[in-house]
Formats: sequence, structure tokens, C-alpha cells
Amino acid sequence: MKLAGKAKMLRIHFGEDDKWRDKPLYRAIVEKCRELDIAGATVFRGIEGYGASTLIHRSHLLSFSSDAPIMISVIDSEENVQKLLPYLDEMVDEGLIAMSEVEVIKYVHQGGARSQ
Amino acid sequence: MLTAGPAKKVSIYVGEDHKYHGQSAYSAILDFLFYRGVSGATVMRGFAGFGADHHLHTTRIERLTENLPIKIEFVESAEKVAELLPKLQGMVGTGLIEIQDTTVAKPSEVSGKEAPEASIPALRREGRAKLMRIFIGENDKWHDKPLHKALIESMRANDIAGATVYQGILGYGANRRIHKDTALHLSHDRPMMLSIVDTEEKLRAFFPILDSMIQQGLVVLSDVDVIKYTHDYSGEERRKEVRK
Repeated sequence: MKLAGKAKMLRIHFGEDDKWRDKPLYRAIVEKCRELDIAGATVFRGIEGYGASTLIHRSHLLSFSSDAPIMISVIDSEENVQKLLPYLDEMVDEGLIAMSEVEVIKYVHQGGARSQ
Repeated sequence: MLTAGPAKKVSIYVGEDHKYHGQSAYSAILDFLFYRGVSGATVMRGFAGFGADHHLHTTRIERLTENLPIKIEFVESAEKVAELLPKLQGMVGTGLIEIQDTTVAKPSEVSGKEAPEASIPALRREGRAKLMRIFIGENDKWHDKPLHKALIESMRANDIAGATVYQGILGYGANRRIHKDTALHLSHDRPMMLSIVDTEEKLRAFFPILDSMIQQGLVVLSDVDVIKYTHDYSGEERRKEVRK
């Protein structure tokens, strides 16, 4: 797949504790992206934040339970991003999904062994 | 900044146990006043009292965590009070807000040595700029040096306004290999994102260098509005800033 020129960037914000069928939601979303052949997805964990519920999310140092804010960034052509949206709609029940326009400058990988 | 002359004194009464969005109402109110630039506020805890519900709140009853009365007081200009009031009304819940006319005989001052520093005007710039995001892996190298570090150094050397490296926890990219930080493996290969904001010309001028350094990864560009960007202070001030 070639990714060049105008593309869309999707950012999905939710909490680390959020689950999808007993699996962390962020992992489930990345797996869904792979399944749909989306060009790439990256999960970031924030240090602190708040969202729709206005409850402060932060990771707790002393306990293993952590509800840090999570952001997944997905970049692909508009067509592919649109394919992903209905799934996200179903999976993310509390969170924020934002889309913006980006221009791809470079998208390269070595070996070219990428499955189509 | 509060000046001598007529002003308003606002007293807010809430219970210690009152909540506002999961946080104590009094600390939420104090935070609100602080970040809205109120010149000063004091929170006082009463040891006994009663309010609209005619329920006596006191420390003497056997229960230690009794809903004790809290009073928050601040003095501000009439305009500022009018601006803050609608939000405060929502925050106090069942509490009471009282406003009195008062006269400031002498406004409080910040201690002398802080004052000149505060007077240095921050350079404010607004306008269009570009945001560049670079997605690479933590293990990517450039001349035996971590690529993200090399990129930051080379941007700094090329006068790019600023760059920040973010570390992801999970991801995949062009080669479809999942990058993650598995606690049990010591080989970290987390996804990295660099975010750089500068003018389009400066970023475009940097592309050839980027091209030579990034073997695999994704680089995207998007439009942003720069709201504030401060720099131009001398080295001495910068060191002071760092120490704070």
C-alpha cells in the first residue's frame, strides 16, 4: 500500500481501564486496525488528564490499577479511515474521536515484506 | 491586579463534604479562583455551624468525618466578581454565596524581588504554522545513535523552533510488526512519535535531512494555529526558569 499526499489522522482518547470484551480497549483497537489493513496505529499513554466525565485520570503509583489517559493515533487515507469508524463507534462507548487532515511527507519501510 | 479603592468581598459557604465533579467543592472553587487570576482567596474551616438544612455540623459529635462548614473568602473588583459569579453559583451546589461592598485600603503586593521578573513581557505570536509528526521505533538507529535522539539534535542544530518526543506503549506501522513494551522482555521496541511545530518553510528546508536519516517510518504534516510561543529571553533568565 502506498500512502502519500493528503491523508486523515484519527485520534481516539479514552482511559487505560476501558475494556472491550475483557481485553484492554487500546489493544482491541490496534488489532482491529491491523485486521482492516490500516496503515498504522500507535497507542500513547498520558500522564494525567480529564475528559467527558471530568474525572481526573492519572496512573496510580502505588496500586497496580491505573487509569491513565490513552490516545491512539491512526493515519491512513480517508477511505480506509472511514472503514474503521463504524467499528470504533461500537467499541468506544466513553471517549473522544477526532479526525484531522494531514499531509504525508514520507512513509517508508525496509524489505517490502509487507502483506497486502 | 487589585488596586486600592472600592471592591467586592465574596464569602462562599459550603460543607466540607460537598462534592463538585468528584472533587471537594471547596478545593474545586479554590482552583477555579486561582486559575481565573483572582488576586487572593482564603479557605477557612469552621468547627461548628448549621445551614439551610438545620443540621448541626460539629467536631464534637462521635463521628469524626462530620460535614464541617467551610468558608471561602476573596476580594476582587466588581467586574471580576460579576464575571466569576455564574460559574461559582453552579459550583456551590446547596451552599451560600454572599457579596459585600468593601474598600481596599492597601492592596497586597508580591515580594519585591519577584516583581521585575513578572514585568518582562512574554513574546506572543499568533499565526499559521505547521505541525510535523514523525513516527519511528525506539530501536531505530542513526550512526549507532538512537534515531529519535539524533533527530532532536539535528533539529536543534538546524534552528527548528522545538520538538518533543513521545513514547507510545503499543503500535504497528509500515512493516506490520507490532511494537510494544513487554514487561518481561528487556528489548524495548516501543513506538516513538516526535512532534515539531515551526513555519512551513523551515520544516520543508529540513526534509532532505529527514530523508537521509529516516530509513523507515512515517512523516506527516498538518496545519496548526500558533497561539503562544515565548522565547528570546537571555540565557540567564532561561536558567532561572529551569530552576523554578
